[in-house]
Amino acid sequence: MIPASHYLTVGAILFALGVIGFLSRRNLIVMFLSAELMLQGVAINLVAFSRHHGNLHGQVFTLFVIAVAACEAGVALALFLMLYRRKRSLDVSLWQALREPGMPETTDTEPMPPVKPEEPLPKLQPAGVEPEREEEREYV
Amino acid sequence: MRHPPLSLLAVSSDPLSWTILLPVIAGGLAVWYLLPAARARRRTYGFLLAVLALAGLAGFLLRGFGDQMPETVEAVLFFGFSGLAVVFAALMITVRNPARSALAFVVVVLSTCGLFLLLAAPFLAAATTVIYAGAIIVTFLFVIMLSQQEGPSNANLRTREPELATAAGFVLLATLMVGLQRVHDWRSVDAAIAHAGTLARAEKIDPDYLSPRSKADVDQMSTDPPPLTPKAAAFIAEMKDALARVRLAAPRSTDDKRLTDHKTVQEVEHAIEFGLPTAFKDPDGEGVHTACQTIADGLTRLKHLRNQAGSSDVTVSEHGVVRPIGHPDEPRQLPAANVSAIGRTLFSDHLLAVELAGTLLLIATVGAIAIAQRREVRA
Repeated sequence: MIPASHYLTVGAILFALGVIGFLSRRNLIVMFLSAELMLQGVAINLVAFSRHHGNLHGQVFTLFVIAVAACEAGVALALFLMLYRRKRSLDVSLWQALREPGMPETTDTEPMPPVKPEEPLPKLQPAGVEPEREEEREYV
Repeated sequence: MRHPPLSLLAVSSDPLSWTILLPVIAGGLAVWYLLPAARARRRTYGFLLAVLALAGLAGFLLRGFGDQMPETVEAVLFFGFSGLAVVFAALMITVRNPARSALAFVVVVLSTCGLFLLLAAPFLAAATTVIYAGAIIVTFLFVIMLSQQEGPSNANLRTREPELATAAGFVLLATLMVGLQRVHDWRSVDAAIAHAGTLARAEKIDPDYLSPRSKADVDQMSTDPPPLTPKAAAFIAEMKDALARVRLAAPRSTDDKRLTDHKTVQEVEHAIEFGLPTAFKDPDGEGVHTACQTIADGLTRLKHLRNQAGSSDVTVSEHGVVRPIGHPDEPRQLPAANVSAIGRTLFSDHLLAVELAGTLLLIATVGAIAIAQRREVRA
């Protein structure tokens, strides 16, 4: 049997990666996925402790974690749709007017990479003989 | 009885812990390098660093806690699933396209379900697959589809304070790993038990341990005990550290059931405090064998008690006694009928929590509908 410490290490790594993603990414959806990643790390911890102690309370807690995560997902995704309707973007920095009073505004200094012009669609040369068209006659 | 301070921090023989620092530093640099940025970077270096970090992590898991890893299929599966989970979690936070992030998260969830299966939780594995990898991710993909943007955007190509965020995450990770290693690494106790056992079985005690008695002392019939040799002092210190490490588990209550364990602690303590110094000061080393045997046996017993999962009524901290939440005569092994056992636990021990979770789901549904509905702008 693999000792609990190994599972706890994996859970700690998932949690730390989730923290980094939540703190640094600016897309609302990726931030929310990072929060879910942290919950996965916690779930691994709980199940590993459940195995270690030989009772099922850890697994039951994990079920509650899943239930709360499902609620959170429903509310947060509805919220994201509403925010997207207002600003036409998922960038969380667009909402920085909500920051603490007295904090300086963050501005992006580095220029964006140049947009590559899209390659034009290829044009096909017409081949073969053009069939004769009949003139449309009016019957009215 | 007043106990000496618990020296959890004094057990590591490797103060810098390179087994922890290497994967943490390499992983931190890799994640920082691979995070999206407006200026494009070459990804090769980041991938090299990530491979180095993964190798260091495997080394930490294999050797960091002492040699505990069984060579079985279970170990192969564990490394497969956890490797997949870690790699795709890193990919999830570093790729630019949010749809790809969501798909990487699916892989993380499925690998986690594999780990759940290894941990004897098949119902949770199924439930997580259905709820997370099925329902939640499909909802995510819908939202991503509804809010699709053309071309490069601030949301996907820029990050907030990538250096600080990466440093915060990996400092947290390093702290957690050091804590886990300090708690789960029994190598120092094992070494102390082996050391005491060797001394107990030795036919002739190494003279370096015995305090030399000078001729003048013998002539004057001096009663002053000679000082301990450095080797003997180091041995006694090692035994004290090992006892402090395992005594965390020894019950302090004086009820009859657990009195024997309490006695073991006292015996070992007595042997270390009085038996060993007296024996080492004896010119022939008389009594060393008995004292060392007592210590080795007692430490082995206490260590077994500490590792015995789920032993009830065990003191694990200075302040509290851990009591079993469920029924005291519950079996220590997980039951084979996982679903029915979970159901019984849910509806007997956690009934109120189940009701609350149901209410929460209902409220969340109402909230989601209320938030997402389009409001007509009044003229």
